[in-house]
Amino acid sequence: MSNTFTSDSGSGGAERLRLFAQPVVAAALVVGVLAFAYTQRDNVIIARNVTASTLLTLTWQHFLISLAVAVIVVAIAVPLGVLLSRSWARRVSPLVIGLANIGQAAPSVGLLVLFFLLTNGTTGFWIATLPIAVYALLPVLRNTIVGLQQVDRSLIDAGRGIGMSGAKVLLSVELPLSVPFILAGLRTALVLAVGTASLAWFVGAGGLGELIDTGYKLSNWTVLSVGAVLAMALALLVDWLGGLAERYLSPRGLR
Amino acid sequence: MSFLDYVASRWQQLLVDSYQHASMVLQCIVLATIVGVLVGVAVYRSPAGAAVATALSSAVLTVPSFALFGLLIPVLGLGVAPSVVTLVLYALLPIIRNTIVGLSTVDQPVLDAARGIGMNRFRVLTRIELAMAWPGILAGMRVSTQMLMGIAAIAAYAKGPGLGNMIFSGLSGLGSANALNMALAGTLGVIILALLLDGVFVLLGRLTTSRGIRG
Amino acid sequence: MADNNMPAPEDRTNGHGVEIRLEEVSKRYPGQKLAAVESVSMTIPAGETVVLVGPSGSGKTTTMRMINRLIEPTSGRITIGGQDVLNLDPDKLRREIGYSIQQAGLFPHMTVGENVGMVPSLVGWSKQRTTERVDEMLDLVGLDPAEYRKRYPRQLSGGQQQRVGVARALAADPPVLLMDEPFGAVDPITRGVLQDELMRLQADLGKTIVFVTHDFDEAVKLGDRIAVLGERSKILQYDTPDAILANPADDTVAGFVGAGAALKQLTLRRVREIELGQVQTAVVDEDPGAMRDRIGTRRGAIGLVLDHRKRPLRWTTAREAGAVSSLAQAGRPVEDSVSPASTLQDALEAILTDDDGVAVVTGSRGEYIGVVDIDTVMTTIKSLREEYADDSNGDSGSTGPDSAEASS
Repeated sequence: MSNTFTSDSGSGGAERLRLFAQPVVAAALVVGVLAFAYTQRDNVIIARNVTASTLLTLTWQHFLISLAVAVIVVAIAVPLGVLLSRSWARRVSPLVIGLANIGQAAPSVGLLVLFFLLTNGTTGFWIATLPIAVYALLPVLRNTIVGLQQVDRSLIDAGRGIGMSGAKVLLSVELPLSVPFILAGLRTALVLAVGTASLAWFVGAGGLGELIDTGYKLSNWTVLSVGAVLAMALALLVDWLGGLAERYLSPRGLR
Repeated sequence: MSFLDYVASRWQQLLVDSYQHASMVLQCIVLATIVGVLVGVAVYRSPAGAAVATALSSAVLTVPSFALFGLLIPVLGLGVAPSVVTLVLYALLPIIRNTIVGLSTVDQPVLDAARGIGMNRFRVLTRIELAMAWPGILAGMRVSTQMLMGIAAIAAYAKGPGLGNMIFSGLSGLGSANALNMALAGTLGVIILALLLDGVFVLLGRLTTSRGIRG
Repeated sequence: MADNNMPAPEDRTNGHGVEIRLEEVSKRYPGQKLAAVESVSMTIPAGETVVLVGPSGSGKTTTMRMINRLIEPTSGRITIGGQDVLNLDPDKLRREIGYSIQQAGLFPHMTVGENVGMVPSLVGWSKQRTTERVDEMLDLVGLDPAEYRKRYPRQLSGGQQQRVGVARALAADPPVLLMDEPFGAVDPITRGVLQDELMRLQADLGKTIVFVTHDFDEAVKLGDRIAVLGERSKILQYDTPDAILANPADDTVAGFVGAGAALKQLTLRRVREIELGQVQTAVVDEDPGAMRDRIGTRRGAIGLVLDHRKRPLRWTTAREAGAVSSLAQAGRPVEDSVSPASTLQDALEAILTDDDGVAVVTGSRGEYIGVVDIDTVMTTIKSLREEYADDSNGDSGSTGPDSAEASS
């Protein structure tokens, strides 16, 4: 069994529940943990590490990495997926998917560290973003291919039969009908990106993971919790946005 | 030192790390299966219950593993405990979802026949429903195992066991001769281990699935 | 022609359709010993509906799909309106050919209006003209444009989807229409309705239609001509439905046509075309004895009791007439009757109902005109077979004027 689920929750009722509850929970988490930290603002460690500017910077870094990953992934995986789904690539595509599946088994922290070491210890935004993008490539690639392959062959035949060119069929029929799949893959990739971006601090790219590490190193559980909870809230929010996109950006006739 | 030389010289350590990594993952899978199947059995009859269980466990998947892991440290201390709880939580969704789906799709006529020949509720559940849902549950376990292999590398952050230690050693050893080798050994080790375990699951599937329902 | 397109409407004959010619067309797939389609030659006259019928594996769909180059012929020539299709750009060619398939192939993410308007917009019509045309087409296939234009395919029934499929095929007013088992996926009742609609459309539009089906009854109903195809699309018989039913070219065709061929012919002939017989009649209040004498002692002789308006009441033999005191009780009642406009099939059914080898024929006021007997029906079938027996089978359809006029 492949680990492709079109929608990660895999059930209509659960999906609707999450669409409604997730942003609420995320907001509650943010408010809750910040209020909690606020009550302890006398503590010097907390006061120094949990400042508005720190939080904003780290959150922004985290968000930016995820956004960059998303853009890179879409720019590479969707066209690549289109190419691999064409009939002439039929023999190559299982190979590529197989390779990508193996890549997915790799630990994300391992990829980050390897890239870091291979660039001789360079730190920074791209040192985190690139390996995360590679890691997040698979869900979108796989879903693009599956999405295109599941398009009813008789629709392509009908399209060519009434005189649409191959390109027109791809753009007007195949791709629109694959959008739900591609969006689902993108959602998974985004969640992966946010999750892995929590490790970006390993290579000096900041992100909310840094706060978790600071808290851990200082044995201050409040600081740690703020970082962890904010990261969770960000992930829930991004996933929720992805769910909205899945639901509302899909072509009308398919819903 | 070349990578192969490195592996040759440290193979014992690598083997220990690999064993601990795999052992931790597998124990967590077993735990997650027990919890997941129980939850699935409890809720599969109720659409609301199933929705809630699925929603909760899928929300867990959204959360960054490092964040969840970190949050558990103050609660459970260092070492094995936060790793185990994190891993079990992550493994839940595929298993719960597949249990629910597998149990719900057993044909009604089959259930009727079972009750009709005198099986009680418990027997029907264990000998019929779970047996027929087993391939799906096993598939869920397989997916979860793959997931866990990657996430388990984080355990090394809080002094947990596993190949993550190799990777972290590589990170902190920046500049030293073996830094790259260590990170590579850790990463490749996880990949190879994951593929091996995947193969084991395929074998297990063939052996334990009755021929009548093999796909 | 100056440009590479098919004949403009003004140049077409017979209303809108154009002639299609296949010359030694073959399709061979690499690595296969036998061709899928082997050297097919046929002429599809302009404005006619030609049905390709045959078992699955006969390559009939492959043959049809070579006409619009969805499958490229390996050898041979195909011309539409005199233009070799290989000289035209395939996409442009297909925009001038209507194409309708079994699953309708409606794009699920587009509205009905967008589906139907696809080819006009591909060809470059203005938005205004396209919208008008879409409404016109929906109307033509029996769907209210205001109601259906904005709907999505999944909101329609199977029959409605097929109608939209046909509307889409006709939208750019192509001279040729290719239809691949378009009514195969709907229930029999809807299928009958759609077939009737197609015949009505064709009567108005006069396009050249190539229709593929495995259902011989559908072929008889819809086709001006039928091509019965065997393996590798070999033409076993290419003729009017009448001719094929009357005289299947070989055992394969006969098997395909089915045992009911003789009966199917009966649906193509009317009572008024054959000679009626007469029997002795008597009005109901006449003397039974007199009737008995008139009927006579000839074996099987039978008489008919009529009412004062000459409507048939009862059948009676001489003996039965003699045994009663009033003709109102003689023999047994007439169960069924036919009119001159009835088909011979109806006549046969009436004959079987009334049990004597005859059925009574009544006129417009129900009055007795004559009888049709079983021998006359059988003789008619026999003469039909002989009429077509003289034509050889390879003829591409010129069976003379009778064939077009005889079935009325």
